[in-house]
Amino acid sequence: MSVFSPEVRAEAEAIVAKYPNSRSATLPLLFLVQSVEGYVSEDGMREVAEILDLTPAQVLASASFYTMLKKRPQGEYLISICRNISCTHLGARRVIEAAEEALGIHAGETTADGRFSLEAAECLGTCDGAPSMQINYEDFYRAAPDDVRALIARLADGEEIRSVRGEPVKTAKEIARETALAGVRTSPADRRSGRTIGGEVPPPDASPGFRPPVLGDSDA
Amino acid sequence: MREETRVTTRRLREFGQDSWTMQRALDDGAYEAARTAVTSMTPDEVIELVKASGLRGKGGAGFPTGVKWGFVPKDVLPKYVVVNHDEGEPGTFKDRELAERDPHQLIEGIIIAAWANQAEKAFIYCRGEFALGSRRMDQAIADAYGKGFLGKGIFGSSFDLDIVLHRGAGAYICGEESALLDSLEGFRGQPRLRPPFPAIKGLYGQPTVINNTETLSSLPSIVTNGAEWHKKMGTEKSPGTKVFSVSGHVNEPGNYEVVYGTTLADILELAGGMRQGAQLKAIIPGGASAPLLTSTDVACDFESLKDAGTMLGSGAIVFMDESTCMVRNALVTTEFFEHESCGKCTPCREGTWWAVKVLERIEHGEGRPEDMDLLLDIADGIDGRSFCPLGDAASWALRSNVKLFRDEFDQHVAERRCPFEGEHGEHKVLVGARPRGVGLGDAGIVDQPAAGIATDAWEEGKGM
Repeated sequence: MSVFSPEVRAEAEAIVAKYPNSRSATLPLLFLVQSVEGYVSEDGMREVAEILDLTPAQVLASASFYTMLKKRPQGEYLISICRNISCTHLGARRVIEAAEEALGIHAGETTADGRFSLEAAECLGTCDGAPSMQINYEDFYRAAPDDVRALIARLADGEEIRSVRGEPVKTAKEIARETALAGVRTSPADRRSGRTIGGEVPPPDASPGFRPPVLGDSDA
Repeated sequence: MREETRVTTRRLREFGQDSWTMQRALDDGAYEAARTAVTSMTPDEVIELVKASGLRGKGGAGFPTGVKWGFVPKDVLPKYVVVNHDEGEPGTFKDRELAERDPHQLIEGIIIAAWANQAEKAFIYCRGEFALGSRRMDQAIADAYGKGFLGKGIFGSSFDLDIVLHRGAGAYICGEESALLDSLEGFRGQPRLRPPFPAIKGLYGQPTVINNTETLSSLPSIVTNGAEWHKKMGTEKSPGTKVFSVSGHVNEPGNYEVVYGTTLADILELAGGMRQGAQLKAIIPGGASAPLLTSTDVACDFESLKDAGTMLGSGAIVFMDESTCMVRNALVTTEFFEHESCGKCTPCREGTWWAVKVLERIEHGEGRPEDMDLLLDIADGIDGRSFCPLGDAASWALRSNVKLFRDEFDQHVAERRCPFEGEHGEHKVLVGARPRGVGLGDAGIVDQPAAGIATDAWEEGKGM
């Protein structure tokens, strides 16, 4: 059973075509899996491995490194509250606590109904709005415990929420899809033809550093 | 009253809401510098101009940009330009604003860098969490193709240039340039052994120029106004302007662009001073990695901050007032490095982990009199003993917190509690509320609630 429908598979091919070396498409394809499955499923990782001519273990190695790639089902809305320096000194812990109370979960968990996930995030690059938070990667500034309670209530009611910059908050699957497809419409591949998936391998010395050759490693 | 010197932030400050659109950028003269470079300057002339301007990298290391370009071999093709837009140093938010609100200035800088280095493909490695910035850059790149500023034969020349937008997926270490390359190639983002440097063997083993967003955004104004104009600003060794991200207990946190050599006192004044007239206690002058300062009487340029025992780093300045618990500051900072350690080198991976355990017990009133020396010993065990600067940075931050505020650490141990506890409502540490370490199996891989893991580890930690 394929994770990608024929339409999504075509998008996967467009993503691969962005790069001189297909392996570079690993992260965006994992975001594409997340946009379909809601997380990076094992079936999805296998399919990415097949598309990129890698082993599933190679794909898992990359997937397990990055915090935005979720390895178990996630909520429709991911609330990330910054716990780093400026935010902590301006009260982020109380905001995290308020969100935990409102959702009835700890940071790092997902509500039983699958609507919300909560995480205490590292610096979100929005210290000018400390304590700052993101909902599905849209920014919210100067979050107070009451604000976060109100935002959660509005999302639970199905209201549209806009970020501090006026951007509508998308669902987790929608934002994963947008992340996967970033740069695809302007991909130079649009202006070329005859490119195939998994077709190019880098030269033997393409990746210097301590990376021992691995059986089945396409660039070893 | 101190004034900003707005160069890279000029357009986005002048034109508020629509500074990021192609129409506004063109009305404001965007892409003329890139056109000039590509159509009337040789690549070597551009490199010489940038060398003469004295421009230094604005991502953290401060390496002269023109010199970095000079290392790229002329005869090896293809070559690549990679934009480091993986801004993640705690306290830093300048690249985010530059890309969100003036992506055309960045693209223009990329064109200039690509022409100078004869690279026909550029990659923007955009931090995964920057959804709006990515959206804006995606649109801006599309508009630039539409105008013939990108693609085949740009500005009517015979030079082709494509820009590929690539998203990261959440890992601070990918801001380190060789880890960024591994990540862009689809691997775990772990630093590479250098040499060879990326200028010789970078992306896909090819010569690669990696520059920070703010650095590239500085190029159009240098091409337009010349090297002498640039050198007249700032100090002799740190010429030009720098966007400082100011946050913490100040009245008006935000990005402020000033000439190098501006004092911390002046930058604090620009940011509206300390909140409610509070007393300044400590300053992080260059991102979480930079050792602390306690005085604002220091000029912000590479040399002055180095002389003061710290560094300019990414230009993130955090002002902290007397309500700040420095044990907690050390804990939050060290937790960050522990979380972001890629796991490659034992001193960094294990050292940050142990330091967090010790800091946690001090903060929870269970510290021991010997813990401060233990922390300094852990810092010494990490410093200089790992592959990339992440480990060093963790040790510098930890050491400076302990050394500068040792009395406060001692007080925690003597009173068996945090003296700030209860005084400020926000002061509460949630053990285990943070995500699990990247590279060590994150919260998703270990199917276990995050809270509890830290408690178990704490029990283990008692045996040390």
